[in-house]
Amino acid sequence: MSSNRQIDTDGTDSQLTTAGESEETVEDAWSDYQYPGEAKLSVEDLDVYYGDERAIKRVTMDIPEESVTALIGPSGCGKSTFLRSLNRMNDRISSARVEGSVEFDGEDIYGGHTNLVELRKRVGMVFQAPNPFPKSIKDNISYGPRKHGDLDTSLLSRLIGRDDRESEMALVERCLKQAALWDEVKDRLDDNALGLSGGQQQRLCIARCLAVDPDVILMDEPASALDPIATAKIEDLIEQLAEEYTVVVVTHNMQQAARISDQTAVFLTGGELVEYDRTEKIFEDPESQRVDDYITGKFG
Amino acid sequence: MSNAADTELRAGYTTLGRQVALPVLGLAFLTFLATWVTTFQWIDESRTVLGLTVLTVFGVALLLMAAGVAGIGVLSRFGYIDTTPSPTAGLPVGIVFGTLWAAIGMAVSFQYLGNTVLSWGPVALVMGAVGLLTATLPREDIGSTVPSALLLAVLGGLIVAGVFDASWVYEAEWTGAIFPGSELIPLLVSGATLLGAWSAGKAKEGFGAQGREAGAFYIIATVVFSMLSVLALLIWFIVKNGLDTFLTGASLTGGHLNVPFTGLSFPFVEVPFVTNVTGSLFVETPGVMPAVVGTLWLVFGAVLFAVPLGVGAAVFLTEYAEQGRFTQVVEVATNGLWSTPSIVFGLFGLAFLVPRISGGNSIFVGQLVLGFMLLPLVLITSRESIKSVPDEYRDASAALGVSKWQTIRSVVIPAAMPGTITGVILGVGRIAGETAPLLLVFGGAPYPSASPNVVGQFSFSTEPPFITNQALLEPASALPYQLYSTITAGVFPRPEIYSNQEFGWGTALVLLLVVLGLYAIGVASRLYFRRKLHYE
Amino acid sequence: MLQQIQNRAGEFVRGVSRRARAYRARTDDEALLFHAAAGFTTLLTFVMFFAGSEWTVIPLLAFVAVIVVGWQRQQAEVAMGLTFLTTIVTVSILTLIIGFLLWESMAIVEHMGLGVFTRIEKPLWTPSEGGVYSLTPMMMGTALTTLVATAIAAPLGIAGAIFISEMAPPTVREVVKPGIELMAGIPSITYGFIGLTILNQYFYTEFRTPTIGSYFAAGIMIGLMALPTIVTVAEDAISTVPESMKSGSLAMGSTEWQTTKSVTLPAALSGVSAAVLLGVGRAMGETMAATVMLSHTKGFPSPAFDVFSNYGETLTTVIAFEGASASGIHLSALFAGGVVLFFMVMLFSVTSQWIEWRMHRKLGGDQ
Repeated sequence: MSSNRQIDTDGTDSQLTTAGESEETVEDAWSDYQYPGEAKLSVEDLDVYYGDERAIKRVTMDIPEESVTALIGPSGCGKSTFLRSLNRMNDRISSARVEGSVEFDGEDIYGGHTNLVELRKRVGMVFQAPNPFPKSIKDNISYGPRKHGDLDTSLLSRLIGRDDRESEMALVERCLKQAALWDEVKDRLDDNALGLSGGQQQRLCIARCLAVDPDVILMDEPASALDPIATAKIEDLIEQLAEEYTVVVVTHNMQQAARISDQTAVFLTGGELVEYDRTEKIFEDPESQRVDDYITGKFG
Repeated sequence: MSNAADTELRAGYTTLGRQVALPVLGLAFLTFLATWVTTFQWIDESRTVLGLTVLTVFGVALLLMAAGVAGIGVLSRFGYIDTTPSPTAGLPVGIVFGTLWAAIGMAVSFQYLGNTVLSWGPVALVMGAVGLLTATLPREDIGSTVPSALLLAVLGGLIVAGVFDASWVYEAEWTGAIFPGSELIPLLVSGATLLGAWSAGKAKEGFGAQGREAGAFYIIATVVFSMLSVLALLIWFIVKNGLDTFLTGASLTGGHLNVPFTGLSFPFVEVPFVTNVTGSLFVETPGVMPAVVGTLWLVFGAVLFAVPLGVGAAVFLTEYAEQGRFTQVVEVATNGLWSTPSIVFGLFGLAFLVPRISGGNSIFVGQLVLGFMLLPLVLITSRESIKSVPDEYRDASAALGVSKWQTIRSVVIPAAMPGTITGVILGVGRIAGETAPLLLVFGGAPYPSASPNVVGQFSFSTEPPFITNQALLEPASALPYQLYSTITAGVFPRPEIYSNQEFGWGTALVLLLVVLGLYAIGVASRLYFRRKLHYE
Repeated sequence: MLQQIQNRAGEFVRGVSRRARAYRARTDDEALLFHAAAGFTTLLTFVMFFAGSEWTVIPLLAFVAVIVVGWQRQQAEVAMGLTFLTTIVTVSILTLIIGFLLWESMAIVEHMGLGVFTRIEKPLWTPSEGGVYSLTPMMMGTALTTLVATAIAAPLGIAGAIFISEMAPPTVREVVKPGIELMAGIPSITYGFIGLTILNQYFYTEFRTPTIGSYFAAGIMIGLMALPTIVTVAEDAISTVPESMKSGSLAMGSTEWQTTKSVTLPAALSGVSAAVLLGVGRAMGETMAATVMLSHTKGFPSPAFDVFSNYGETLTTVIAFEGASASGIHLSALFAGGVVLFFMVMLFSVTSQWIEWRMHRKLGGDQ
């Protein structure tokens, strides 16, 4: 079932990636960047197909824990598809098919009998457009823990006086504070979340995700639908989150990737990973000419 | 509180629980099927299998399921099976079991203690409380297995012990009908299997959130499976009972296909039931020809009336009218027409059209009334499809200097045509089977001896209204009306050939073929147009 | 209050006349002439038809002539006028239905007073000149069959909708959905025939119902007929819940069932209840199955919920069964039944529309 592949833990001289075996990209992929900590997710030879179309081509990369990894590339390059394959949200699309392996803490999530519910508890996701539930702000936060049985506020528990409403309030406060939203909403926790502004909704979605206490947070262009002020808030938030969580963020905004990420992976058309390295290295001195062209705006 | 990091990524997948739960699920499904087969009397309940009557077999199956379900629950509670149960099965489950237990208590005390509230009330109350508490207080693995296992065991035990058998009868005070065990047992057992499947389904996925998902899935899937079975049964009944009548005297090459104007004639399929008249003494096989022709004329007239009106109104509402009070009124009126009961259309035709047009039942009034019924559907579907024509088409056309009407005529209507056609076909399927208004405004003799000859009956005069068509102003028959009059008219005029019921089943089969044929075309055209839209 | 209405009315009139002047300004005189001629001939045709004149054909021919000439000279304007006319016709059909139902039931109300809707003493129904006509037993029958039908169709229908939109794998969905739609296509008289020959017989022989035919058996068949309506409408409502909302819940590690129960169904709740109301309306108006299955004996079962009693008549069945041969005051009583039926069904239809409209506004307004 699960392979016992040892993850390189000392970090010395290890390569972050052995990017795509697509002929023309092999030479680009090497670098001698030392990444901090252990690999949280390691992707090997991942192919994703939609029907007959191959959206991701033989991607291999390790994602280190407690850092921000940015995935950048032109639209249609498959970076969102790649992100969604890290918590198997692609399973929702009936024509999608995945080959290769993604190991999460050493266990292959595409191996047999993976418990998707367990996986998604530990690999959370924030979507491009804010998608709060049409419930109160408080209920949005406590939704996940309630569903996982960590918080019990049901009628029954209330009847026998064993409910967790106090810990629920504590959790709501902690998560909203972590998501830098507490001060703005603390007086209206029972209001419908759909009444918040776009930026607030997105931070609520992040808070909601934190409430489940995942190890990894995947973010799919979390700021693309927001105005500059809201975007700045989200960016600050992402940098703070990296102290505790492993964050993978897809963005088409190169400045954003440069500002917030520790390492950057560049996907180019056709779903291939062209280069993956320390963010400064990618933006200042990329190995690949194609990445250089993309960064400097000659292409894409 | 479970800590996410402690649990395995593959938690909830334990083999022992599965190995017990799967056979229980299978047994539940088989028993469920068997109970319905018994209810439909394809198996007689007194038949014996391995020396046991069918009902006893049901009892044994329930006992086995009870043992399996309770076994998993207990094993899981004491940690022999690795599961992820919640602290409690939850209040809704408790309420269901409380109600079930209360019902059992009530039934039993009714039987043994007598029929006063004072005697059955407390028993029901106590049993209900027991059901509620056993389901909600213990951990989920016990709470969602043991109460249902107990229920299964009690029912199965009573049946196996022979206390509750085929000859048992419940004679209710509140009704003249009686409820014999031979019919009640299969029904109760089928309900109990659902309960067993729910418990086993939960156990299979190790309880917890995923267990609840599996439990819900098995219940809902069974419900949907039953719905489709009912559909299949309905069709099967009609085909089985109607086929003999339908094929009386039929042959593959006995008929003739005459090619008009050439005098040529080819051998052709012959189905006298469809091509002969109903009431004449001179045909060998009475058939439903007049009704088929009547239905065709009805549908033709209704379409001719409703399609221009419906499409016109749809164009006005989407292209010309400003969205506001007026369109809202029209929308409410359309939906109102759509939900008006068909018999009310009949009353309206009877009061408004009959005295002004034909003075009695007639094809023409029937056409108009069915047209009124078709109108809202045509309007709604064509409005939907006109709305779905993208505004870019209209803008592009307007940018080329084409007038609004030209744009509508050459861009909007053609683009909206597929949806409208599909809607019309589906609507025609509906009105072709419509009977109620025809009773009031259309129907004539129960067994007509000739088909309405509409084409040959046009006559002209210098008096108003200048053109008359006597056939259109006379009553006729249509397939659904034919079926109704066969049911109500009593003896068929040629009892030596068909009994009343035989003729009825034959008519029902022809009607079903016509209506389902139209539906199939409608659904196929929808698929075809949708695919075309997607790939262009 | 009155002042307010006057103000609103004045505003409305001013708005219309402003628009009319604007329209007048940008339209040819000739086109206006055609509009006037077409409108006048239509009105004349209707009035003469209404009066039962045999000369109705004259204004009708005139109307056709106006349209033919107009189509050649002012096609765009005439086309618009025609589409407007068709809209008016659609609305007037409903108005006419309501008008005629009320008009024709005047006689019975004059004869019986409101007793036609409330009388519960015997005799209940003696069809003759000056006889007694009480619709209460039929209302009772309609209520009983509708209750049985709803008890079957509502839970099964909602379960079916959830299965199709949330649970079934795509291949299963492609079989189940058309199957359910097909079920809606089977004519009601066919359901009735099967109910009569199989269900009625079964209850009569096995459960010894006092007569062949009972509210319970008819209710089952009506429930089966209302089922596809509820499934399709509820399924539409459930599938309008945005995928992003469901993904949001799934991405937090909720199961599909938790997502359905806590996110999808609450969001689609109003649509689903609209579907049930629509189904109830259908069940109430269902005629043929009940007509052939019930015994047409009028009276009140005792106790009231005895669905196996020897009584069997609903509002629809009495109209269908007696309508063809009734006349005079008897027919008027049937029309009164039609009024009750129509307004009950309308109540359900309008409520369901209102619920749906509110849901639309709620979801649309916030996104």
